[in-house]
Amino acid sequence: MADMQTVIGVETRVSGEIRGGEDLVVKGRVDGKIQLTHALTVDKGAIVQADVDVKNLVVSGTLVGNIVASESVRLHASARVVGDLASPRVMMESGAAYRGRVDMGDIEAARAAVASRAVARPAASSLATARERPAPPRMGAPPRTVVVATKAAPRFVAPTVGERPAAVSAAPSAPPAFPRVAGAVGGMAPAWAKKKVRRR
Amino acid sequence: MAKEKETKSMANTVIGSSIVVDGEITGEEPLTILGTVKGRIATAQSVVVEAGATVEADVEGQTVTLSGKLTGNVTAREKLELRPESKMVGNAKAPRIVFADGATFKGNVDMDV
Repeated sequence: MADMQTVIGVETRVSGEIRGGEDLVVKGRVDGKIQLTHALTVDKGAIVQADVDVKNLVVSGTLVGNIVASESVRLHASARVVGDLASPRVMMESGAAYRGRVDMGDIEAARAAVASRAVARPAASSLATARERPAPPRMGAPPRTVVVATKAAPRFVAPTVGERPAAVSAAPSAPPAFPRVAGAVGGMAPAWAKKKVRRR
Repeated sequence: MAKEKETKSMANTVIGSSIVVDGEITGEEPLTILGTVKGRIATAQSVVVEAGATVEADVEGQTVTLSGKLTGNVTAREKLELRPESKMVGNAKAPRIVFADGATFKGNVDMDV
């Protein structure tokens, strides 16, 4: 009984934040935020609308939100995912639907970008600033950017150009990378994804 | 397929011991809590708060069984049971309420009489 696995059942909905140090399986619905030091599994039929910060992520259902996975991400064929994805190892099965930006490099920067969007953790962004400093501005040389949904590309690239000099000169202060990333992400969830979620 | 669905719903919802949920849990299936939940819980089925679990939430369920710590108002449509070692602070509303020897409770009791 004591070593029961954490499950959000098919008929259950959680809105808010889930944190923890164990595996989590979502079969139902979660809206908000998920932060785990272990694995998150989004089962087939499950809907997760949340920023996700975990070690391993396995998706067979629907996930809308920014993803940071410190170890790996696996999207199964039935997965539908919208949101930026940062993880050193990303696996996508044939048939998986994904839209967003993939970053297999700088996990910490991506994590900071996600954290800075959440007002709940003000400490996170200053920590990120310190880490970011020695590195060149994130967008200066666009990282390995994989845009799976073809038409989305110009939207991500365009706003970065104007701000680049500022990023270089004002590096010690708040790097503008975060708000810009946040802005790009905000309008990203396409109508089909929202509709899909609402319909259930 | 039908059988698979049945086993799925039997697997219901579990909040593990190292999990913290901050927000709202609503649903139509049994809920077992071993970790921490803050906010609100509402399910059409049973709610079990295991020993070691902490709940700071208003709880609504068919039956509510408490072995851990609960702070908040509880409404059980059928039965509220406070097991030994359980601690509850808040108002209890249920047609049947069981206090086991050793349970700690502070609050109002409403059995609709």
